[in-house]
Amino acid sequence: MKYILLMSSTQSGVSGYHKWPQADRDAHMQVLGAIAKDLVDSGEFVATQGLVEPRQAKLVRGEKNGLPATDGVFPEAKEFLLGYWIVDVATAERAYAIAGRISAAPGPGGVPTNMPIEVRQFAERAGQ
Amino acid sequence: MKYMLMMNTMSAGAGVPPWPKADLQAHIAFMHSVNRDLREAGEWVFAEGLSFPDQARQVRAGRSGVPITDGVFPESKEFLAGFWIVDVDSAERAWAIAARISAAPGPGGAPLNMPIEVRPIMSGPPEEML
Repeated sequence: MKYILLMSSTQSGVSGYHKWPQADRDAHMQVLGAIAKDLVDSGEFVATQGLVEPRQAKLVRGEKNGLPATDGVFPEAKEFLLGYWIVDVATAERAYAIAGRISAAPGPGGVPTNMPIEVRQFAERAGQ
Repeated sequence: MKYMLMMNTMSAGAGVPPWPKADLQAHIAFMHSVNRDLREAGEWVFAEGLSFPDQARQVRAGRSGVPITDGVFPESKEFLAGFWIVDVDSAERAWAIAARISAAPGPGGAPLNMPIEVRPIMSGPPEEML
């Protein structure tokens, strides 16, 4: 079963991250790298990706003439996707355990961030 | 350049939209045609739909490292319904694809004009993280 693990935060959360001491950011990325490596080794890895900062996001709607109308102004409280992991696992509990490990990645001073990770199963497609 | 197009249209408690079956089928057929065109243009990287929000869980690590799951979300929370990753020459092209998706048909075939969030994808962690 495929699941997507979504890591989200606000613009102020992202700005706060950029103020962490360099060593703490290194340690954080090292743990996320180790998690990805373990998922590859266990055969559960499908994909992972980080997205650029919210200030580069655009919201697009189709106008009547089919042309895109873009808007880049978002409320401060809006949550943005920072990155995701797609995993192929035997059970929902396994997907939760991986999300728990990501949630426990170290923050400033090595203290776990305990950030919430949204876990969603892929929709099954008709005819597949 | 790779972009992620996100359709955040679901709300907690919502399932399949209460549309006539023909309208639902026209909506799905439209999405298939978008994906087919992206594949033919060589711009398709990845696309998936997600299950309904009632199956979503929010997970945090507890002190012992055991995951703590919570499935109760505020009614106002936006949920990702599906996403596309495309590889295109310009941001304008990514916005044009998003506009096409935005205009997917709803009840009676009228365009939904739903908002699609468009974000560039990182090729790696930002330099300041390394």
